[in-house]
Amino acid sequence: MLKVKKDKINGLIGEFLKDYLVFAPVKDGSRSKFKKITDPAEISTGTVKSERSPKDVFFPQSEVLFEYDTNGVRISDNEEKPYLLWGVRNCDTKSIRMLDKVFGNAHQAPDKDMYKDPYWKKKYDTSVIFNFACTAPLSTCFCNWFGGGPFDETGSDVFVVETDGDLILKGVSEKGKALLEKLSVTIEAEKKDEELAETAKKKAEEMMSKPTDISNLFEKLSTVWNEPVWQKLAAKCVNCGACAFICPTCHCFDVSDEGKNGRGKRVRLWDSCMFPIFTMEASGHNPRGNSTQRVKQRVMHKFNYFMENYGSHLCTGCGRCIVVCPVNFDIREVIKGILDHKIKEKVQADV
Amino acid sequence: MLQELKDTVKKILEEKKADIVIGWKKGTLPGIATPLFMEYPEDVGELIFDHTCRNNLTSYLTKDKRKLSKDHAKVGVIVKGCDARSVVLYAVENQVKRENVFIIGVHCEGMYEKKKLRAAAEGKEIFSVKSSGNIVTIKGRDLEKSVPEKEVLSDSCIYCRYPDAREYDVFIGEPRKEVDVPEEFSSVNEFEKKTAEERWEYITEEYSKCIRCYACRNVCPSCYCNECFVDQNNPQWIGKTPETTDSIIFHLIRNIHIAGRCVDCGSCVTACPVEIDLRIMNKKVEKEIRERFGYTAGLDINEKPAMATFCEHEKQDFIMS
Ligand code: SF4
Ligand code: SF4
Ligand code: SF4
Ligand code: SF4
Repeated sequence: MLKVKKDKINGLIGEFLKDYLVFAPVKDGSRSKFKKITDPAEISTGTVKSERSPKDVFFPQSEVLFEYDTNGVRISDNEEKPYLLWGVRNCDTKSIRMLDKVFGNAHQAPDKDMYKDPYWKKKYDTSVIFNFACTAPLSTCFCNWFGGGPFDETGSDVFVVETDGDLILKGVSEKGKALLEKLSVTIEAEKKDEELAETAKKKAEEMMSKPTDISNLFEKLSTVWNEPVWQKLAAKCVNCGACAFICPTCHCFDVSDEGKNGRGKRVRLWDSCMFPIFTMEASGHNPRGNSTQRVKQRVMHKFNYFMENYGSHLCTGCGRCIVVCPVNFDIREVIKGILDHKIKEKVQADV
Repeated sequence: MLQELKDTVKKILEEKKADIVIGWKKGTLPGIATPLFMEYPEDVGELIFDHTCRNNLTSYLTKDKRKLSKDHAKVGVIVKGCDARSVVLYAVENQVKRENVFIIGVHCEGMYEKKKLRAAAEGKEIFSVKSSGNIVTIKGRDLEKSVPEKEVLSDSCIYCRYPDAREYDVFIGEPRKEVDVPEEFSSVNEFEKKTAEERWEYITEEYSKCIRCYACRNVCPSCYCNECFVDQNNPQWIGKTPETTDSIIFHLIRNIHIAGRCVDCGSCVTACPVEIDLRIMNKKVEKEIRERFGYTAGLDINEKPAMATFCEHEKQDFIMS
């Protein structure tokens, strides 16, 4: 393991800024979000995840796919430097890896040659993620339900632990290891540093609440489609997009053409299954016309369909949706509500 | 008071004065209660009323294509002063029949604002918020701090003229009359003193943070259109991107749509995940309506809404000049 002394961190980021576009949590009003930085002083990592997730970096809320005018179509292809994400927490690292399954590396069996999104791949494929350990997880963090934890390094390129302001770095992926080798400001970490990291890990893990066992969730969801539990769980949801837009894994989008007088652009925009027009058909019919149906879709997509298609839950337990929901629709309670729901034996009809 | 409230709701359900009653129960996070839908007398067990019951529950009367109002002949709802005004607004605007709502008024001491609590906690995570007298004690990770209540009360509550319902079927305790609040528009007055450039800068700065999640609109009792203008795409009225120009259009049009209709319940302010100052423009519009038309939303069930009537004595300088 390598170490960067606290007074060398800015120098390290300075080095990165030469070869990479560096994205890091930056304060935006009272909340923090991932932004491209030009100066290490802009960074505000804190001890836990940023309020806005880093999904915006690869999958921005609005992205121009192409512009057009009477002379034809233009796709902007300004050659950019590769992306480096600094200060990502493990729930978000995993989210980005999940999104890559959808956009970049669609491995949805059996068709391995499914569409791969060039806009995603251009940014993602050469990117490096510096995953920071969470030294003070929040009470809403429940990554441990999904097998994660504040010091989980799965999916990282480089894993970072902060100890007394110094950074301990560990190369995890081949890409991460290769990058660390090139750095000049690092020194070898000592035994003492590794012990400090170990203590921080214990402390952080103790802060986590006991996980709920969700090993049955997928199967249970496959059996509750017509159950009244949905009405009960969904009653308070007001169908805004706060949860989906703040979520690092939600990835539904809409495409909008914005133009007039023979010129314009096609934009890809975040969308949410919570919005009534998400499924509105041209005829005026809406197959998910009420709130309960839409809440069901959100839960099914996260904890059933995605598992079926990609082999994991579409949630990393970051807890952001719990914090932002205006009516305290707590996804943990919803999961528990589903798991606890007892399906009444169907009374056999007399034949 | 809570016991009396519980007993009242229980009785209402037993006597079928309402088929369902909406109230609040303890939420999973400190400082935020969560809506509770009570259909059976035993459901009142979880009912609470305290400084965390921010949501204006009357919005459920019109949300989701008025499902609740269609499914139940009579819906009971527990209301603070601002919430009660929303029911009046619904009746005035012919959205819900007054007789189909059973209004249960409670004595409101004001709601705490998430953002202010966090500021008081210096950004540390909050585990519990307790109040006794006028002192609020916040406990959190490496944190225990007491602050005067006024520091964490939401602005809507500090400057509230009608803390108790004026329109109700039953009131728990004795409702207070209108409170005199000379400072009611102080934030707007301050804002008006700025130059046009400064005001524009403030507004663009705030709205540039918007992620267009529409939580503000969806919790708002006054935003009940079956199809909001932002959702229409044929024709499409506004750009759908979160660019500042598009977001400003969304907010300014919403401001105008709630002119003379906003009850300053503060639900939108609390709902916003990026904590935009939504109140300043709401209040500005409220002040305009008060000054021009002498109208305040949700006070009188027999008065025509400001934007739906015309009277020759109205100030018309915007046309003349
Ligand atoms: S769960 Fe909460 S944040 Fe999500 S759509 Fe419903 S009300 Fe909005
Ligand atoms: S569903 Fe909620 S907890 Fe899960 S990843 Fe999304 S925001 Fe985080
Ligand atoms: S605009 Fe905001 S304060 Fe006014 S009624 Fe709607 S939610 Fe309440
Ligand atoms: S709640 Fe906030 S972020 Fe969401 S649309 Fe309203 S102002 Fe924008």
